Amino acid sequence: MVQLTRRKFLIATGCVAGGATVLYTLGTRAAASAPTIIFPNEESGAAWIQIRPDGSCHMYFPRQDMGQNANTGLAQIVAEELNINVADIQGVRPNTSDVPPLAVTAASMSLTAFSRPIALAAATLRESMRDRAAVKLGEPLPSLLDDLGGFRTADGREVGYAELVDETSAVIEFDDNKPAPALYTFDPSREKKQVGHSVNPLDIEALVTGGPVYAADVQIEGTLYGRVVQPPVRNAHIASVETNDINGVQGLVKLVHEGDFVGVVCKTPSAVEAAMAKIRVSWDLEQPINQQEIDKLVDVDAEMFEGDLEHVLQDEAHRKSVDWDIDLRFDVQVQTHAQQEPRAAIARFNDSNAEHALEVWTGTQDPWAIKRSAAMDTGLSQDDIIVYPQRIGGGFGGREYYEVERDAVRLARAVQRPVKVQWTRKDEFTASRCRPASTHRLRIAVDGEGNLSDWWYGYVSGHVALARERMASWLLPVVRLGTDMGVVKGAIAPYSAPHQRVECKDVDLPIDLGVWRSLNGAPAVFSIESAMDELAVQRGEDSLEYRLAQMKGAHPRLRACFERVAVMSSNKSLSGGANYGRGFAGGIFDGRCYVAISADVHVDLDTQKIRVLHMCCAQDVGLAVNPGQLRAQIESNLVWSIGMALLERFEVADNNIQSSNFDNYLIPRMQDMPSLDIEIIDQPGIPPAGAGEVALVAGPPAIANAIRNASGFRALKLPIAFSDITSGFKA
Amino acid sequence: MKLMVNGVEYPVARDWRNENLLTVLREHLGLVGTRFSCGIGQCGACVVHVNGVAMNSCLVPVAAVVDTDVLTIEGLTTEDGTLHPLQQAWIDESVPQCGYCQSGQIMQALALLKENQEPSDDDISLAMNGNLCRCGTYDRIRKSIKKAALVMKGAD
Repeated sequence: MVQLTRRKFLIATGCVAGGATVLYTLGTRAAASAPTIIFPNEESGAAWIQIRPDGSCHMYFPRQDMGQNANTGLAQIVAEELNINVADIQGVRPNTSDVPPLAVTAASMSLTAFSRPIALAAATLRESMRDRAAVKLGEPLPSLLDDLGGFRTADGREVGYAELVDETSAVIEFDDNKPAPALYTFDPSREKKQVGHSVNPLDIEALVTGGPVYAADVQIEGTLYGRVVQPPVRNAHIASVETNDINGVQGLVKLVHEGDFVGVVCKTPSAVEAAMAKIRVSWDLEQPINQQEIDKLVDVDAEMFEGDLEHVLQDEAHRKSVDWDIDLRFDVQVQTHAQQEPRAAIARFNDSNAEHALEVWTGTQDPWAIKRSAAMDTGLSQDDIIVYPQRIGGGFGGREYYEVERDAVRLARAVQRPVKVQWTRKDEFTASRCRPASTHRLRIAVDGEGNLSDWWYGYVSGHVALARERMASWLLPVVRLGTDMGVVKGAIAPYSAPHQRVECKDVDLPIDLGVWRSLNGAPAVFSIESAMDELAVQRGEDSLEYRLAQMKGAHPRLRACFERVAVMSSNKSLSGGANYGRGFAGGIFDGRCYVAISADVHVDLDTQKIRVLHMCCAQDVGLAVNPGQLRAQIESNLVWSIGMALLERFEVADNNIQSSNFDNYLIPRMQDMPSLDIEIIDQPGIPPAGAGEVALVAGPPAIANAIRNASGFRALKLPIAFSDITSGFKA
Repeated sequence: MKLMVNGVEYPVARDWRNENLLTVLREHLGLVGTRFSCGIGQCGACVVHVNGVAMNSCLVPVAAVVDTDVLTIEGLTTEDGTLHPLQQAWIDESVPQCGYCQSGQIMQALALLKENQEPSDDDISLAMNGNLCRCGTYDRIRKSIKKAALVMKGAD
């Protein structure tokens, strides 16, 4: 890609008719793992914050919207620094030609990685405006005081931003030799007007009025409809294709068969349905797809029997032969994203007079990866391609790759007309890259005082960040010698013992794998917190007190979460009836986010159901930029905890994916909802920690521990079915 | 063939008469506020009202709703842009996360409030159980329905 200088960039995009613009810089330090890792720096430019000649503030939103509403929080930061109201910021989602590549929206890093650079940019713009105001009023700088939308003097003279910018474009540049401007956002002593207040998503009205915001809502003149046969796994190859009588389908425009790619283009969606029904594909697989195969591949006991596991994450004076007080194995099944929006994309090829040879409309976590992939797929140069990112109807880690976009691009190329591809729900289940199955062996021994003496945790998981196709196949074996940052998430417990070992192995599974909310965080913390709870129960200790004691003074922020949730849960009395129980769990996500949760459950022998009645959650979020939206993310994680603990079971059998829709892959519904009590622990002096996938680590073990408390049954497998518990009673 | 949607008559071209109502609304008439999600009536993202009854439009052949009144999310806002009390409550409670299911949630809630002006928690759970929200906004949906019920009752 052509490197544009900042000034050229400004002209090339044509985004500035006049006014003052500031670049914000994002250091490369905070690189995410996923495909696009370019956090823009000063040389490449970045998104823009701009004050226009009418005094309004324009901001390119740097994050992809998928429900986390990170852009709202970033806009609040800009508003705080510029002394304006967040509602007055004109936020624009940039396309891939508007700004240089921005890092993939993932890993709950949006606020963590972007808040400070954006604050710095907005504050720099503010101070340059102050310079201008001083000149305009003929006053020394220190006498220019902040005012809403501008400045004032002590004697009451006011000057607004509109009076300080004109039709001449100006780019404000950072000057490293000058002291950095004061960042209002991170000043704990400041009474903030924007940051720290609950603000609705800036486009909320479109979401409650059915506005055209998602990829499938885009209307392009002359669009045809297409769909492609999704393989059960992406390394499968077509053995044979039958397309009996497909030419008799009314409305069929073209059958497209290129290698392992088979799809159709039709005039209407129902014709697509009819044409697809005529296609029969049989696949050559590299591994059989069934549950037994997956179970065999992630069998931690078989692997540990063979010897040390591949990756050692912690090793301190490890002892193999100890009289273990806890020796439990936890099995966590495959889960899929099942986001509400089945993905869709539209692709259009243009003639040579057009600015871009190929245009793609899609909802994706990584628009620049889509552009790169489309260039490789089509042979076009990246400059010939433009991607218009749309709002994403749920991401959860599953929307990073060139997938439905590939379908649309190849079909559009084949017919030289715009083609819209709407994945079906079955396509979603078949082609989504799942959270892998994993099995976990936890061994704990205690000394004479009951303190942890030995901790040995080994587990085997399918790949996460280093799943197939995340990089070139020749590179993969080399990269996999290192640890998979997704697989190691959550593995180090907050408890300490003099003898500790944590080890893991990651393996290829016969299904497509990838990033799923919290990565390995939820499976690992489920195992750790279940084991610790079991140890406390068997020793007759208070589970919460015991945990705090075994943290041995470390992790004060986690301790505070536990202490807070203890108080919150005590405010709600638990029924004294049979088979009611309460459980606790806590954890640290990614070394920066802290959470503790309590769950109340009823194991109902009459209805044969496990019901979660009430959940309390205390979460330390760092600086709480937008408390209402943080709370929304926590609510979401608690609902997902119920799905993971009790409902979601991804089925594979007969060399195919069997889960196909919401009738056979159950996710939480309104009737599964407990009452919720959520508290946010605000840390105004600490950068935002991210909240998108934190509480999910502690919710499932809290529920499992509550079931133990209610019924005596220790859940060793997720999801937990009522029938598991009755068999547990018998044992 | 003609279709009456939100009080407006739309012609349905010959090629589109074998489609389901959802597809015709979205792809032929450009009324994209009704969303596609499961295609088998399991999630409620595509709920519209047909003669006042909430239905999953993905399951309804368009030919079956000729001579009926179809109401979609686009029909809830008045011409001067005033939001329906349910939509306003949804904003007040800041319900949407990804937002994809919310058109269907609001249409389903409207059907509930037409039948039951003071729904209990159980009434809401029962009526809304067919509407999935993967983001898990259920708690806020419940609060919004109660809030809108109060407003709508006051307006009677």
